[in-house]
Amino acid sequence: MTVAQPTANVHHSEPSRLRKFWSGVSVVFTSKIATVGLIIVLFWFIIGLVSFFWTPYPPNSSLFAQNLYPNSVNWLGTDHLGRDIASRLMAGTQVILLKTRVPGDSGWIIPGGVALWGVFGALVVGAFLGLNAAYRGGWWDQGIMQVLDAMVAFPAIVLYLVIITALEQGDFVVIFAITVTGAPGVARLVRSLALDIKTRDYIRAAETRGEKASYIMFREILPNARGPILVDAMLRVGYAIFMIGTLGFLGIGLPPPDPDWGNMVNEARRFIFLNAWAPFPPSIAIASLVIGLNLFADGMREELTRYQK
Amino acid sequence: MLVRDCMTRHPILISPKTPAAEAQRIMAENRIRHLPVAGSGKRLLGLITRQRLAMKPDDLASLNVWEITRRLSNLIAEKIMLPAARVRTIEPEKTVERAASLMTDYRIGCLPVMEENVVVGIITETDLLRAFQVMLGIQGEGVRVTVNMPDKRGEFAKLMRVIVDRNWGVVGVGTFPNARRDGYYFAVVKISNVTLDEVRDAIGGIESQEITDIRTIV
Amino acid sequence: MEALLDQTTMTSSAGPGPVLKVENVAVAYKVRGGEILAVQNVSFEINRGESHGIVGESGCGKSTVAWAIVNFLGANGYVKHGSIKFLGQELVGKSGEELRRLRGDQIAMVYQDPMQALNPSMRLGDQMKEVLTVHRGMSDADATKRCIEMLERVHMPDAANVMKRYPHQISGGQQQRVVIAMALLNNPAMLIMDEPTTALDVTVEAAVLDLIGELRREFDTAIMYITHNLGVVARVCTQVGVMYAGEMVERGQVAQIFKAPQHPYTQGLMRCVPKLGADKASSLLYPIIGRVPPPDSRPLGCVFGPRCDYAQDRCGEEHPRLRMLPSGVQVRCHFAEEIDPAQWTPPPELELPPEPVGTGNGNGNGAGEEPILVVEGLKKYYTAASNSLKGMFGMGEKRYVKVVEDVSFTVKKGKTLGVVGESGCGKSTLIKTIIGLEESTGGEMRFLGFDITGDLSSRNKRLIQELQMVFQNPDSTMNPAYSVGQQIARPMIRFGTVPKRQVRDEVIRLLQAMRLGEAYYDRLPRQLSGGEKQRVGIARALASRPDLVLCDEPVSALDVSVQAAILNLLLDVQHEFETTMIFIAHDLSVVRFFSDDVAVMYLGQVMEIGPADAIYAPPYHPYTEALLSAVPIPDPAAKQKVIRLEGSVPSAMNPPSGCRFHTRCPRRHLLPDDGAICAQEIPPWQEGEDGHRIFCHIPLETLRTLDPVITQ
Ligand SMILES: Nc1ncnc2c1ncn2[C@@H]1O[C@H](COP(=O)(O)OP(=O)(O)OP(=O)(O)O)[C@@H](O)[C@H]1O
Ligand code: SF4
Ligand code: SF4
Ligand SMILES: [Mg+2]
Repeated sequence: MTVAQPTANVHHSEPSRLRKFWSGVSVVFTSKIATVGLIIVLFWFIIGLVSFFWTPYPPNSSLFAQNLYPNSVNWLGTDHLGRDIASRLMAGTQVILLKTRVPGDSGWIIPGGVALWGVFGALVVGAFLGLNAAYRGGWWDQGIMQVLDAMVAFPAIVLYLVIITALEQGDFVVIFAITVTGAPGVARLVRSLALDIKTRDYIRAAETRGEKASYIMFREILPNARGPILVDAMLRVGYAIFMIGTLGFLGIGLPPPDPDWGNMVNEARRFIFLNAWAPFPPSIAIASLVIGLNLFADGMREELTRYQK
Repeated sequence: MLVRDCMTRHPILISPKTPAAEAQRIMAENRIRHLPVAGSGKRLLGLITRQRLAMKPDDLASLNVWEITRRLSNLIAEKIMLPAARVRTIEPEKTVERAASLMTDYRIGCLPVMEENVVVGIITETDLLRAFQVMLGIQGEGVRVTVNMPDKRGEFAKLMRVIVDRNWGVVGVGTFPNARRDGYYFAVVKISNVTLDEVRDAIGGIESQEITDIRTIV
Repeated sequence: MEALLDQTTMTSSAGPGPVLKVENVAVAYKVRGGEILAVQNVSFEINRGESHGIVGESGCGKSTVAWAIVNFLGANGYVKHGSIKFLGQELVGKSGEELRRLRGDQIAMVYQDPMQALNPSMRLGDQMKEVLTVHRGMSDADATKRCIEMLERVHMPDAANVMKRYPHQISGGQQQRVVIAMALLNNPAMLIMDEPTTALDVTVEAAVLDLIGELRREFDTAIMYITHNLGVVARVCTQVGVMYAGEMVERGQVAQIFKAPQHPYTQGLMRCVPKLGADKASSLLYPIIGRVPPPDSRPLGCVFGPRCDYAQDRCGEEHPRLRMLPSGVQVRCHFAEEIDPAQWTPPPELELPPEPVGTGNGNGNGAGEEPILVVEGLKKYYTAASNSLKGMFGMGEKRYVKVVEDVSFTVKKGKTLGVVGESGCGKSTLIKTIIGLEESTGGEMRFLGFDITGDLSSRNKRLIQELQMVFQNPDSTMNPAYSVGQQIARPMIRFGTVPKRQVRDEVIRLLQAMRLGEAYYDRLPRQLSGGEKQRVGIARALASRPDLVLCDEPVSALDVSVQAAILNLLLDVQHEFETTMIFIAHDLSVVRFFSDDVAVMYLGQVMEIGPADAIYAPPYHPYTEALLSAVPIPDPAAKQKVIRLEGSVPSAMNPPSGCRFHTRCPRRHLLPDDGAICAQEIPPWQEGEDGHRIFCHIPLETLRTLDPVITQ
């Protein structure tokens, strides 16, 4: 007789942190769609970062003739005030993805764009409501779902108008608007995920340890819903950008004079008979970023949604 | 014994689109001579036999090798089978002797067994021969005795009484008329767990009956 | 005339060759970066009227073989080489259409989950009739008649009525019967069954197994029966093939293989299963060390080599062929002739419980030991969702589902109480109520003298800490988001059982007690096998040093060899930590193996309770007797009484009056008037020796005269 193998017959050497991180990131590249999406998104991020330090011309100064078509000096032409569209387009990325302006005249900014903060807000509020509805059930569920239904039934644009008239135009208001409109969707998603996860035995185990409801919701359930929530969040950033665009288009978006894509489209619209070209660059920018995020989210979905195993 | 007791269930079936060559191969590999052709739901469409696969010699004479191959490769079961309307069939609840007489009357080697229009089995000469062996008890060990007795009421009972009285077990029975002597018939009985002499003593003593053959080896 | 024709047997298997002949088949799945050879070198054949078992542990490729036959390997699987002949015709390499036709009417498949074969939104009758009307062009009336006949063939009560129902309106066992009936409508030449009874209760399983045996004989169908349960094989199969790591390692007649298994793997499997018939002390379990290698890292020589106690140099170099022994058994081992299982001794590194099993029962006979948990008259009702209009407005009478009704028992310190019963009998609710996941509706429960009738929110931390639980499903017992170490550490931190700085050491100590070792500390659940997850689950339950551990079917989702290891581990743990346990299982052999006392539950009530040995011998409660006679025993030679319960468990919403078992009781006729009293009066508790109690009207003396269910 010879010695048989011990139980732990497979030798696992623990990979370094860097390796682990890389193996996480490399997931993206296994999907072609996700890679294309990521490249588009990164492109705009870099454009935005560059614009902090360099734009072809100052974005807010009227240095040129008005309503120029693209030419060798102004690559994308100029707008109705004679500002360089290419520069404005670059700078417009900032407020969407990279900075949020604190209200008042302090001139302070918070890192992270309005779209990102808005979606983050929607995630926080939505996850909180969804988890409570799902985990506590009963009246909590009924109540929360009623409120959410009411929110959804209310037309989004009217909601904006109400919020904006109540408060003053500004970055925080837009963030607030995105949060409010996004939260019900997030809550529903989180609720349905949590309803499933809550039936797992490890939740029973936590309960038999007498863990608090908040611990179970945020430490036991939430981490396992991470994948689908992240995918959803990426899609939501896309919607948010559209929304900022729509708001800008209606003239109730981010405050001037700093450029943002939505406002650019809106202003160009008014002069469309003088300059048919001007609406295109910001529109295409919005569309491409949204498409990029969508592609990225789609590609990641399969990898990230395997929350069950 | 009924047809369902001795038929082969779940026979090999082929579809109408099976090439003839394939049918031939299936027959050869499984050493069978008849292939029912069935459509969806095992409904009988026809029957292929060895003869059906053979080409008529005068056909062959007029063709060269290539043509023969082509002809063969295009030939499918549907084209060469005997269509269902002309296939004699039988139902599982009929008796074996009925099946046998159908087969001898029409000089055919097999009968697909049908429940409504669905093939549930096949009964062939081989199955009948096997049934015959079984009825005469080929599987059990024992003494096989042939008794000549008059064709009268109570004669067989006499023989049986002798067997029953001694509590013997019978593994096979058969009777057939005595061709040489009118009014008499033979009964063949195979009895287990007895010796030749015991049987001879017991049955030999029966009045008006005589042992015409007795043996242990079949 | 009885003696006449006494030996006239007819060999039905005679016919043109086997129904299925599988030769040297290899099946591969294409995956990212290569392919997985899931199955290789598999050969076997099945004749008409034979039932061929395929056994082996999970992942050994049993289902893959079945899928290869019916070409359901999915987009990425294909038969790499070999031949599969069905009724004399080659299946491998045929076009999809040809295959579909060849199989369509001739091969039927029954899966573990009947709902996989039933359309949930179609009446059962319509689904069944479709088979006949579409393929055979039968008229609707004829088809209906045939379907009802077939349902009656599979012993479906009230067949005509069942035709009008939807799948969800009948029980799991009945669904499986419908699927079998549907499969038989076409009178297929072959029936492939992949774990058809694994999801069913023993009593239902027994009836379905009886049915399969009957049908095989009546329809002369060739049956391929896939299962991991050796007991089931012994009951329904005529031949069996044992699969290991994608290969057939042994094949032959069931009787022969069970009597004298030739391959070391088969021998190992047999040593893993608790045997119901044998007395407790001799039923030590010997798990097979190690685990089934995944397809991409199978050893070169004999696939079983790394786990084999007899492996020699030759085994690592030369791949053994499947060869025929003089006994007619085929085996894939170089040394099959030289191996004598009777001479086998457990290798030193095998994890065995500290003392022979059964001594748990022997060390002191319970007298003078303090009860740790006292349950008296416990009730747990759920309010039923009423679907009447009145009910919706809360005006109707409240209706209750009486899941646990008047249950009383005590658990003594350091002992194990086993709870058995069919699914839905309230076992899980019982322990959920004890542990506080549910609030009790009535009765008393005292744990260490404290009242625990309320749910967790009403208990203090110390009390919560003393009651912990081990769960059934290894895949959901651990939170996938945290590492093993974090999850075991959490209870220690929460209850402060260990100073913060020592937590890691303590976790590692526990891991070692679970035979896992320090390397597992940082692993994530998805890197663990089912057995390992279950070990971590046990470690987590023990981390707070509880006095009472409740185990809800902790081994029923595991393979036999893993199951044996976990059971041994639990015994070991109990010995080392002096934990008291309540152990729920539906498998009566496992409960017997594991418990000191056993409670048998039916429809929310305890029917019989007492020391394990007393439960498994007469006098039996009629329900216990029926359960015992349903258990498949892995020994074709064992004789077992045939008692089958009719119908299914009644609804707990309006349970039968008097004795809840009276609607199905096979022993009522022992009482006057065919047991009229059973339907009217609640039976008395009859006291036997050693705290053995039976809840039945039949006097103990009468019950005592009944024969034992199992005789060797
Ligand atoms: N679609 C697939 N792609 C890749 N590998 C697969 C696929 N299906 C099965 N396998 C692998 O093939 C091997 C055999 O699997 P199979 O399902 O046949 O095992 P089994 O014996 O039926 O197990 P169980 O008892 O759990 O049902 C396993 O290693 C499995 O992981
Ligand atoms: S061939 Fe060797 S390793 Fe394989 S089962 Fe036989 S003795 Fe064990
Ligand atoms: S009380 Fe009556 S119905 Fe109940 S188990 Fe005893 S005999 Fe059967
Ligand atoms: Mg399987």
